[in-house]
Amino acid sequence: MTLESVVFAILGVVAVSGGVVTVFARDVSRMAMGLGAFLVAVAGFFVYWGATFLGVVQLFVYIGGVLVLMIFAIMLVHRSPDGSPLLETRHDVAALAVAGGLFFLVVASLLDVVPDSVDQGIASGPAELNEAFLGPMLTHFEMGGVLLLAVLVAVVVILGGDER
Amino acid sequence: MSAFLDLGWSVVLLPLALAVVVAFSGRLLGRLAPAVAIIAPLWVLAYGVLSLVDGVHGSSRAGSVEWLTPGGPGSLTVGWAVDGLTAVMLVVVGLVATLVVLFSVGYMHGEGGLPRYFAALCLFTAAMSMLVVADGFVGLFIGWELVGACSYLLIGFWFTRPAAANAAVKAFLTTRVGDVGLFLALALLWREVGDLSYAAVFAAAPSLPAATVTAASLLLLVGAVGKSAQFPLQIWLPDAMEGPTPVSALIHAATMVAAGVFLIARAWPLFSLSAAALTVTLAIGGLTAVGAAAAALAQTDIKKVLAYSTISQLGFMFAALGVGAWGAAVFHLVTHAVFKALLFLGSGSVIHGSGTQELEEMGGLFRKMPVTGATWLVGAGALAGLPPLAGFFSKDEILHDVAGAEPLWAIILFGASLMTAFYVARTTRLAFFDSYRGDGHPHEGGWSMRLPLIVLATLAVGVGFAGSWLAETVGAHHGTLDLAVAAGSTLLALIGLFAGWKAAGTHHPVFARPPFARLAPLMRAGWGADALVERVIIGPVAGFSRVLYGFVDRKVVDGIAEGAVPLARGLGRAFATLQSGDAQWYATMLGAGAVALLALVSYLGRGL
Amino acid sequence: MSLLVITVGLFSLGLYGVLTRRDLVAILASIEVMLGSATLLLVGLAAVGTPMGSHEGAVEATGVMVIVLAAAEAAVGLALVISVARRFKTTRVDELTEVKG
Repeated sequence: MTLESVVFAILGVVAVSGGVVTVFARDVSRMAMGLGAFLVAVAGFFVYWGATFLGVVQLFVYIGGVLVLMIFAIMLVHRSPDGSPLLETRHDVAALAVAGGLFFLVVASLLDVVPDSVDQGIASGPAELNEAFLGPMLTHFEMGGVLLLAVLVAVVVILGGDER
Repeated sequence: MSAFLDLGWSVVLLPLALAVVVAFSGRLLGRLAPAVAIIAPLWVLAYGVLSLVDGVHGSSRAGSVEWLTPGGPGSLTVGWAVDGLTAVMLVVVGLVATLVVLFSVGYMHGEGGLPRYFAALCLFTAAMSMLVVADGFVGLFIGWELVGACSYLLIGFWFTRPAAANAAVKAFLTTRVGDVGLFLALALLWREVGDLSYAAVFAAAPSLPAATVTAASLLLLVGAVGKSAQFPLQIWLPDAMEGPTPVSALIHAATMVAAGVFLIARAWPLFSLSAAALTVTLAIGGLTAVGAAAAALAQTDIKKVLAYSTISQLGFMFAALGVGAWGAAVFHLVTHAVFKALLFLGSGSVIHGSGTQELEEMGGLFRKMPVTGATWLVGAGALAGLPPLAGFFSKDEILHDVAGAEPLWAIILFGASLMTAFYVARTTRLAFFDSYRGDGHPHEGGWSMRLPLIVLATLAVGVGFAGSWLAETVGAHHGTLDLAVAAGSTLLALIGLFAGWKAAGTHHPVFARPPFARLAPLMRAGWGADALVERVIIGPVAGFSRVLYGFVDRKVVDGIAEGAVPLARGLGRAFATLQSGDAQWYATMLGAGAVALLALVSYLGRGL
Repeated sequence: MSLLVITVGLFSLGLYGVLTRRDLVAILASIEVMLGSATLLLVGLAAVGTPMGSHEGAVEATGVMVIVLAAAEAAVGLALVISVARRFKTTRVDELTEVKG
């Protein structure tokens, strides 16, 4: 019962509960909170594994950006007439089969690949990140920039259109 | 003139071409159609006569064409060769066909579909010529089948009548049974000899194994039996009387039915080597001769009398073949062609003039139709075998030859002769003498109908004397007249004629006295042959067909066909649910497919 | 092993949500779950020492890229949702499939 395994366990629980709440919540705000919890847990995992920079980026971009955006959208969009449940889930055997099947398939395939050893962590930091982005992953970096520009334009176009 | 004779193919091709011409422009030609059509048999006749004049003893002009080369020994050739036998046959065919076309002008006047009729007659002439002129079994077979087809077309000329249509089919199918035998014979010979031309087969015949010779001969006999309506394939000929009477005269008296006799005569070098085949031929011939004659005794329709008579006379020819007297058989073939055609055309005149075929409705026609009556008497006498008419000479030769070889069968044939005279006299009296029992206005036909009768009657008188010349021409042995046989047969003929005449005068066309009264219906029905075939063959086949239809066709096949509709609908409905328009459902299906694929890959490839 | 179960399980969970949820925003949220869990798996595998990749910083860089992509996708997606909601007055998937534009 090391500190590390406890931390790992807590993070796991939070992540999973967050995910469950996100997928099954009936209420929008609950769903948003679940998502938030999940994203925080993911950031925690990143830090736990030593990818600190990544964890921080996760926090800033995902939670500070994406989640906030989502909440804004919810507020703009959802007008609930007298508090009836807003979010429904159409439970479906086929979807369950697909999700379940995928789960077992991937786990079974990756089991041999994943060593069961203790987390070693990632020995990297901003310096290595820089080297990567300006080295082998330069294209990715540039394309990412282009993509973001395109997204900016796209959003303006989509939302700036006629409101008729 | 010899140059004409080199065109051996012309006896086939010219009638064929004329058949096409008449068939397609018959309406245009109108009344000229028979004039065009008659050129065909005239040419055949001319060619035959010219050949005889030119001298065809054993030698032949010939020409042949290689036709097919199926895998195996040699190739199939089709060619022509004219020898004595061929020339004689050409004359017979040409003569009778010409007279029949002429007769048809008057007889078929006013009928519909005449272009088809005359075209079919031309086609028949072409086919019959092919049959006799062929230099090998292949050509013979082609002509053989083609005459069968023409017979079908012409018997069923009035195809809107169910009886006629059925008769045509019956004729075709029955002869088909025989044709199978012929084909098997050809196949056997092909395998053993490798070449189906007469020259090759006859040269190889003596060295073939006895079993092969017998088998081939018997199979040829089967073919001949079918075509010549001998027992047991005789059932089609009486029914064939549904066709126009001139057709009956040409095809079912003089030529096509004689093809069986011709076949055996032509194949004599092979056939004569098999004692078994000869014995069977004799038996069939004798049996048929007497059985058919007995059936003729009880008929009420004038054409049916003549039909059974034909079967019976062909039986005589077969019997002659059976004892080795093929020359006598050919002689009788020629005389029979003449007097039987005469009798048939005469009956045609009677039918045309009095409007009926039933003997009961005739009577006293001699006075009303003198030409027909007189010529009929000549033909009747020839059939009965009265000297000095043609039938006397040829029949006597047969009787003499059979008596010399198989006395027992000769007795049977004598009995058949007696019966022949009997039914001849009976029929003659019922139709031409006493008082008229019908209610029409019998009258003589036009000159187109009278002329053929006169020509044939003249020949019926004279042809008998050509016996020795004929034998010499075809290359057969000719016996001298045997006085004992001649006297005996003439006596029997007179007795038969007298008895038949008397029987017809009892005012009952059928025998009133028992036991004949009970037998008569059976005899009239050809000894129940049709009923037998019905029970043994047709019944089971029809029953099987009914089962097949009722169960297999209706339930199974239709079930599958009709079941396809609800099946398709059901499947369609099932699949329609997939097209729900729900994007998430599509995505689910996508995912399912991907998962399945992944599973497949990982379990087949053991790892991604 | 536990890493796998958690990560892949979350991914499957998110997938189920995408296939099943009846509201556009909820679907988007489920997509985020999927993306997050995938990134988690990636980094986690590197963390436990699965040999992969060439460069030391490649894993983190890839993780950053995924986050960037997710942000881009979320932005556009939410813009579309707002546009749809303005037009059809609803974000429920059921109602949206019936309406013809």
